[in-house]
Amino acid sequence: MTRREAADRRQGMLLLAPTAVALGALTVYPAAWVLWLSLQHRVPIFGVSRFAGLDNFAFLTIDARFWSAAHTTAVFTVASVALEVVLGVAAALAINAQRRGRAVALSFLLLAWAMPAVVAAKLFEWLYHPVAGLINVALGRHALNWLGDPGIALAAVTLADVWRTMPFVAILCYARLLAIPADLYEAAQVDGAGRLATLTRITLPLLGRILLLAVLFRTLDALRAFDIMFVLTGGGPANTTETLTVYAYRALFQTLQLGFGSALSVVVFVLVMGVAWAYLRILRTGSVAA
Amino acid sequence: MRPTPRTVADLVIVAALAAYAIPFFWQLLTSFKPEAELLRIPPLLPSHLTLAHYRVVLEQSLMPRALANSLGIATLTTVAALVVGLPGAYAVARRPVPGKRWLLLAIVASTAFPQIATVSPLYLLMRALDLRDTWTGLVLVHASFALPLTVWLLAGFIREIPIEAEEAAAVDGAGLAKTFRWVVVPLLAPGLASTALLTFLFSWNEFLFAYTFTVSEASRTIPVALALFPGVFEVPWGDIAAASMLASLPPVLIVVALQRFLVRGLVAGAVKE
Amino acid sequence: MSLGTLRATRLVRALVLLTFAGCAGSPSERGPVTLVFKYARILGNADPLPSLLREFEAQHPGVRVKGEALPWASDDQHQFYVINLEGRSPGFDVMMLDCIWVPEFARAGWLLDLTPHLQPAELAPFFPSAVAAATYDHRIWALPWNMNVGLLYYRTDLLAKHGLAPPETYEALVEQVRLIRARERDPALDGYLWQGKQYEGLVVNVLEALWANGARLITDDGDAFPEPARAADALRFLRGLITTGVSPAWTTAADEELSRRAFGDGHAIFLRNWPYARDLFEAEGSAVRGKVAFTTLPGRARGEPGAGSTGGAHLGVSRRSRHPALAVALARHLTSERAQRAIALGAALSPTRQALYHDEELVRRNPAMPRLHALSLAGRPRPVTPYYLLVSATVQPEFSAALVGVKVPERAIEDTRVRLGHFLGALR
Repeated sequence: MTRREAADRRQGMLLLAPTAVALGALTVYPAAWVLWLSLQHRVPIFGVSRFAGLDNFAFLTIDARFWSAAHTTAVFTVASVALEVVLGVAAALAINAQRRGRAVALSFLLLAWAMPAVVAAKLFEWLYHPVAGLINVALGRHALNWLGDPGIALAAVTLADVWRTMPFVAILCYARLLAIPADLYEAAQVDGAGRLATLTRITLPLLGRILLLAVLFRTLDALRAFDIMFVLTGGGPANTTETLTVYAYRALFQTLQLGFGSALSVVVFVLVMGVAWAYLRILRTGSVAA
Repeated sequence: MRPTPRTVADLVIVAALAAYAIPFFWQLLTSFKPEAELLRIPPLLPSHLTLAHYRVVLEQSLMPRALANSLGIATLTTVAALVVGLPGAYAVARRPVPGKRWLLLAIVASTAFPQIATVSPLYLLMRALDLRDTWTGLVLVHASFALPLTVWLLAGFIREIPIEAEEAAAVDGAGLAKTFRWVVVPLLAPGLASTALLTFLFSWNEFLFAYTFTVSEASRTIPVALALFPGVFEVPWGDIAAASMLASLPPVLIVVALQRFLVRGLVAGAVKE
Repeated sequence: MSLGTLRATRLVRALVLLTFAGCAGSPSERGPVTLVFKYARILGNADPLPSLLREFEAQHPGVRVKGEALPWASDDQHQFYVINLEGRSPGFDVMMLDCIWVPEFARAGWLLDLTPHLQPAELAPFFPSAVAAATYDHRIWALPWNMNVGLLYYRTDLLAKHGLAPPETYEALVEQVRLIRARERDPALDGYLWQGKQYEGLVVNVLEALWANGARLITDDGDAFPEPARAADALRFLRGLITTGVSPAWTTAADEELSRRAFGDGHAIFLRNWPYARDLFEAEGSAVRGKVAFTTLPGRARGEPGAGSTGGAHLGVSRRSRHPALAVALARHLTSERAQRAIALGAALSPTRQALYHDEELVRRNPAMPRLHALSLAGRPRPVTPYYLLVSATVQPEFSAALVGVKVPERAIEDTRVRLGHFLGALR
């Protein structure tokens, strides 16, 4: 190693030091701490703080509310990501095929994505209002109790989340579509490929990799989704919209059960990291063209 | 050529526009509707428009305070994340650092970090340091949470800058600080803008930490104030609509005026490897 | 609804739901001593509190009292207190507490022990059950401020028209609902309204159903549902009220006000609610004025006689208050007979001092006061335990699930037992 290289290394480490310190202190250290907390019975109000081993996790295996929340999380994640991908690709293709109005369409999509989830939740709470909500007004006599009926509340929450985050998928796909060279399409036309064939043989395969990435980010977000159901339904009615994150938050801060709540947090954490890891493997080994 | 696909695309666009524009405009309309007409539908359109809800929100609610808190916290978060993240990103992009692979992996992994995973220890930390209800506490948490993405994005943008410019500066005897100031930062300006926008929006929109680490009304940020908007007898839908409009103001401005940078950042965040 | 009724509604509701809007008190110059009082702000011109606070200032020269608003919902209030009191000095001296929180806050060490500050017989004029709710570990931690008890309201006109006496059992109530609705042929007339939304009010309603069926929620030793079969039966009965249409489907989303309004608009025969509702039914312009009376909640045909759950707000003093003697004096001033009379007159909240139920002025305004006294005395408190909130938060989703029908009652009871067993076990 030359002196120059050594100096560069030193400099690099110096430049990275603040980042490393910040991440260490406020992400890595708390992540280790939460593991430690999850192994305790810890309720600060009552001065309870003692080691509990795997007690909290053992309880989770027989906790009906935990399994119900896990189920809700799974349904919410799969449904919202699937809808977002289908609608997002459709929207991206439609915008791409459009000459006029692109900017306006993009702006509205971006706005829905850029505004706080709490605003979106309030907006939908009003749209879902049993009497004066626009959706029920449009449905007329078929009006539904969107957020109050345990049979449809989860669907209502999912719909609100799809509305808010579908633009992310659409914009990523649209950006990729812009980058597809026009001669590819011309070649296809020369070969006599129809529109459907062009779509399935050229466009969609080219979108493959970016879609996979979009699905990754959206799945991670859906697994840790909190704001939208916390504000829209608070997990109700009858806990039918309570996801693992909402359950963890309630355990942590409604009754300050820091040990038990941390065990739930750890489960969410492991779930998210597991999914991220699995996707990354698919991305790396998969032969999806980019 | 048959017109079908174009027609289909047109229909999709119209439907999508309606699905996105109508909720916005409905909320906007609600914020100007007289109180007595809010729950009386039809008619859809109000008999007249009123500023009463905005008056309530601006004069009688805690929203102005929350706007100030959010503006301050989001701005400071952005500055902090950039000041810490830029040198880090430069090192990642341009310097041979031992264990870089692992570091990159850690950074990517932490962008996927769920907030719920660290909220309990951070609560204890904030309590121990007496940082609850302070801007400092939220800025620290927000900035550290946004940092991985900041570093990731900036490193990608730095790699796009031709290295020759820096080498030329180095040959001219400019130190790192000078190179940074006169070469890297100017070339990086659009990337910095994209990153700053995303960080700002993250902090502006963040709810879970803000909700947990603020207790007093005076310290609430916009999403928290909106989520806890006080209704006394009925849910004040008109006031909430007005407050929502105010809460969306910065995102709207960013989307309208700085769309280019926003999209660039958004796409870069997903694609850069 | 007239303006007067509206104002009365607002006033009362603001206090009952412990709500707030904006800031109370004027930010004038600071005296040498400032006491901060956290309470749910009362709106309207007749808000008796500001004048009571000014009165206190007049009696204590150099002392200023600053009223500060509490959040809107009971859940938020509790979280506000917990996070503000836990591990630091709060910025307030006197606080309004839901009586169910007193043991929890006392055990956590957040409240000043008032026992040494009290005269020997000072609490004798109060309801014993209210004093019991303020007692933990044989010491007094708060002063009872207002009193609540669950009541059965009924439409005197409808019952008289069909020759019926107020029901003493739920079975009789269901029968009367069937009879009246069959004869009235009014599809808009609901039978029995109560509170089934997933919140503390649901726990109260279910508790009353459990007691009527001879079941308990939790024993003094912390065992949940010592009579599981009876408890499940009570839940099934409540669910049955909804499925058979005796209670409307929206009962599972109903809180006090939603049900109070529907009954107040004349759309129901029976209603379970707190005493404040009576004043609103009797207010000028009310659709049911002069047509409403209340009685004790029914029992079950083969069970015990019914009893309403008691509740109410207490005033506690922060242990970290820098002016404990003054803070105690303020709490005492606000719970005095004079202050409670003013509050009862201005805001229709029931006093905790028993003599006021026979006070000439108050009885003239509300002739039902003596009756209310008897029912308040007969009321039953919710379990007095420092873990009440944990218990309530644990049972709420289970009860709600049983009511909306996503869980069978036995399953809800069993799940609750398992959960409470684990959580309470962790606290030992």
